[in-house]
Amino acid sequence: MRQKIKERWEERVGLKEIIRTKLKEYKVPKGVNIFYTLGIVTLLAYMVQAVSGYFLLIYYIPHPDHAFKSVQDMMNVVPFGWLLRMVHIVVSNLMVVVIILHLLSIFIMLSYKKPRELTWVAGVCLLFVTLIFCLSGYLLPWSQRSLWATTIVTNIPTAFPVIGEYIANMLRGGENVSGITLSRFFALHIAFLPPIFLSIVGFHIFLVRRLGLSTPSVSKSAEGHADAHSFYPYFFLKQVFMIMVFFSVVFFMITFMPTLFTPEAANTPADPLKTPLHIKPEWYFLAPYQMLRIIPNKFFGISMQILLIAIFMLWPFLDTKEEKNILKRPLLIVMLIAALAIWVSLTIWGKRP
Amino acid sequence: MKRRNFLKLLTFILGSTAVSSFAYPLIRFLAPPQTKATGERISIKKSDIPLGKGQEIVFGGTPAIVVNVQGMGYIALSRVCTHLGCLVEYNKETNRFICPCHAGTFSVEGHVISGPPPKPLARLPLNVQGDNIIIG
Repeated sequence: MRQKIKERWEERVGLKEIIRTKLKEYKVPKGVNIFYTLGIVTLLAYMVQAVSGYFLLIYYIPHPDHAFKSVQDMMNVVPFGWLLRMVHIVVSNLMVVVIILHLLSIFIMLSYKKPRELTWVAGVCLLFVTLIFCLSGYLLPWSQRSLWATTIVTNIPTAFPVIGEYIANMLRGGENVSGITLSRFFALHIAFLPPIFLSIVGFHIFLVRRLGLSTPSVSKSAEGHADAHSFYPYFFLKQVFMIMVFFSVVFFMITFMPTLFTPEAANTPADPLKTPLHIKPEWYFLAPYQMLRIIPNKFFGISMQILLIAIFMLWPFLDTKEEKNILKRPLLIVMLIAALAIWVSLTIWGKRP
Repeated sequence: MKRRNFLKLLTFILGSTAVSSFAYPLIRFLAPPQTKATGERISIKKSDIPLGKGQEIVFGGTPAIVVNVQGMGYIALSRVCTHLGCLVEYNKETNRFICPCHAGTFSVEGHVISGPPPKPLARLPLNVQGDNIIIG
């Protein structure tokens, strides 16, 4: 009976056929390392965010009079509410780390080169959509940090004359961050961003499958994958290993560093009449935050950031050299180290009062 | 004009009209309605603000402050920093306004002294009538 059900299922769905052609016969180049698995780790992190987010929605009340209390109740009253919220907070931060590492490894291996330029662009778009997810998400607890971080970010368009004020008001739903802004960001966080994110992921995965994984620059394997391993089990096991490492880090942080991402201002109810002293954004926004502090002209500071984002996103089209081994590109190494050093320095500087 | 090109142009015009007719209501839907109160007036007793002190108020939905400055009298200013919208704090020792976000500093009259703010704090209309300070 069981065998018959399996046979009929297979006849209609063809799961074995899919596994054979899409996993076992799909080849990956020899020498692929653990950095190649960061894409699947990102996707898994997103799925964890979606599932934990659905559960948080059961108790969260998107109203300025109730939002803060509903989140506090989730942490203190609802059984295991703290666990789901902590998973949501820690994974959101680690997701940004994983995407940055993924992009960094792609950059170092120069895997963005022709014909994978669009794969890079889609990856960078995913980073920015993730950051918008984070930003819209941290208004929702309606804490002091939520309110003032959102005030700063929604004021950024005002650097641009004529339309800037209009865009800022449209984002906030008024002249100040208020309950209307909370509703807008809630809708953005749970309804608008997920399909956008999944569409870009779909496009990204489509390109990866169509073009194949790039050959590591240190590998002797040819780009055509003639000398290659099967995706399953060789690469699949690497992915499983990295997913386990990811979860180990998540639960280590929840257990031993529970307050790392929730400073005092994140546990103080929002007060629209009092900006807390030394208010700081999340770590991933510290570098742009510090840049705005040190560049005296608001328009210039924000325009420069937009220009840097554009260069970062379109880098594969700007770097036209064919050499795929970064060790033979000393100028590029210097540029990369300088960019990283500036980013780290601004982040550390931004953290200081 | 060839018939094929004419049809392309016609399709483009009709398509653009169709898209615009959906885009315009969507943009209007997202733009906040004009709810700003006009003609608002706030009255504060002079005795509530001794010399060198300030009183925080909300005027037209915007946080503001009225300060009593030696030699200048009463000044009413918006507390919204012109850089990125944080609320400035009045420091009576230095007689300045300081923004806690990006360290912008303003004089007691609202002029930028240092930091990234691009323009002075917005000044609110103020009248002293007898024992009362009228803002608005």
